[in-house]
Amino acid sequence: MKYLTLVLILFSVSTVMAQPNCEAFKYYGDTEKYEACKKAMEIKGHYQFSKAYQTILDEAITIDPTYDYPYWAKSIAYLKSGDFVTWKKLIDKAVELNPIGHLGYRGWCRYQFFRDYRGAINDIEQLDSLVDYDIGHSQNGTYHLNIAKGLCYKAIGEKQKAIKIIADQIKRNKEGNFVGAYDYLHLGVLYFETENFEKAIEMFTKQAETNDLAENHYYLALTYRKLDRLTEFKSSLETAKERYVGGRRMSDPYSNPMDKIYLEDIENALTLANMN
Amino acid sequence: MKKNLLVILLLFFTFWSCQTDKNDGETQQYLRWVGDITYNEQTDTSDFRVCNGDDNVLQYFNLGEGPVYTDEKATILRTFKEQYKALPNNKENGLIRIRFIVNCKGKAGRFRVLQSDYQYQQKEFDSEIVSQLLNTTQAIEQWKILYRNDIPVDYYMYLIFKISDGQLTEMLP
Repeated sequence: MKYLTLVLILFSVSTVMAQPNCEAFKYYGDTEKYEACKKAMEIKGHYQFSKAYQTILDEAITIDPTYDYPYWAKSIAYLKSGDFVTWKKLIDKAVELNPIGHLGYRGWCRYQFFRDYRGAINDIEQLDSLVDYDIGHSQNGTYHLNIAKGLCYKAIGEKQKAIKIIADQIKRNKEGNFVGAYDYLHLGVLYFETENFEKAIEMFTKQAETNDLAENHYYLALTYRKLDRLTEFKSSLETAKERYVGGRRMSDPYSNPMDKIYLEDIENALTLANMN
Repeated sequence: MKKNLLVILLLFFTFWSCQTDKNDGETQQYLRWVGDITYNEQTDTSDFRVCNGDDNVLQYFNLGEGPVYTDEKATILRTFKEQYKALPNNKENGLIRIRFIVNCKGKAGRFRVLQSDYQYQQKEFDSEIVSQLLNTTQAIEQWKILYRNDIPVDYYMYLIFKISDGQLTEMLP
C-alpha cells in the first residue's frame, strides 16, 4: 500500500516542468529569488494536492512575490481538480511574471482541461510571437503545440486553416524524426470531414504504421463508406472493434482526446454495415 | 470597558475578513488536499458515506484509468443532452463544474458547484440551468468502482459543462 502511494506521489510530482536552478539566481545576485527558489524546492516528495506542498509554495511567494515558479506549481492541483477559477488566477500570475515560460503551458491546459479553444490559440500564438525558436510540445508530450493549435482551429470551425497548420507541423516533425502519437489520425479526420477522401486514407494508413489504434480503422471505415467500398467499410470496422476491445485506443489520464471514439460508435456503424 | 470590547471586536472582524477575502489559492487555510469536500449537514444527505474515511479519498486520475464512467462517456453525455432544456431567451456563457465523491460502492455524494464565465471569472448562472445539471448528475445511480490493490476506493470526480448562448455544448473530462 505504501509503495503504491509513493508511486502515486512520484507520478504526480514527475509532471512538474524542469526544476529551476536556484544557484543561477545566486550567481546573478538576486538573493530574494534564490531564497524563494530554495524554499520552493522543499516541495520535493510532497503531493501536489497536499497542505504541505501548497504551504511551502505560499512561503516561497512571501519571500519573493515576483518569482513565477511557485504560482505555477500551486496552480497544478487546482487545474487537475477542475477548479478553473483558482487555477486561472494562479497561472495568470505566473504568465504575467514569465510569459515565455508559461504561455505554452497555459494554452495547452486551456485546451486539454477546459476546451477553451480561442484562449488556447491566443496563448500559443502569443508565445510564437515572443520567441524565434521552436515553441515546443504540450506538457504531456503528446502534441507539438502547433498541432494543439490546429485542433483548436478545427474546433472553432476553421478546418482548412487547421489542415494547413497540422500538415506543416507534421512535415517539420518528420525533419526532426518525431512522430506525434495522434497527428496523422487528426489530419486524416480533417481530410475526411472536408471530403478529401484519398488524403484521408493516406493519413489513416500512416497512423496505422506509426501507432495503430481503433480510431484510425473506424474513420477509415467511414471513408470507405463514403467511397461506396462497402466490403472494406465492414472489415475496417471489425478491425476497429478488435483494437478497441484490446485497449488500442486514444486515451489521456485526465480527459478524453478529440476524435476519440467509443465502442457504441463502432457497433452502431457495424449494424449499418451488416444491413448492406 | 465597552470601548475595549469594541476595539477587540473590530480587530477580530478585520482579521476574519482578511481570511475570507484571500480565498484565492494563494494564502488560505488548507484541508488535507486541495479541493477536499467536507461533510455539510445542512446540504449533504446523511445516507451517503465514504467507505475508507475522508483522509483516504483519492482523485479519479490517481488510479491511472483516466476519466471513467459506468458506461462510456458517450452514454452519459447523451443523457445530459436529452434532459437539458435550454431556457428561452437565455444567452449565458461559461463553465459549470459539479464535483463530488464516488464511494467504494459506486454511489455519489457531497455535490459541489463552481461556476464561471469564459474569462474564468466566478458568476452565477440562472439557477434553473444549474439545477437541471445538478439533478441529472445526482440521478446517475451508479459510477464506476475503482480499485487499489483489489480494494474498492473512494475518489473525487467532476463533470464540467460548457454553456454557450444558454445551450449545453460540451461536457468534460
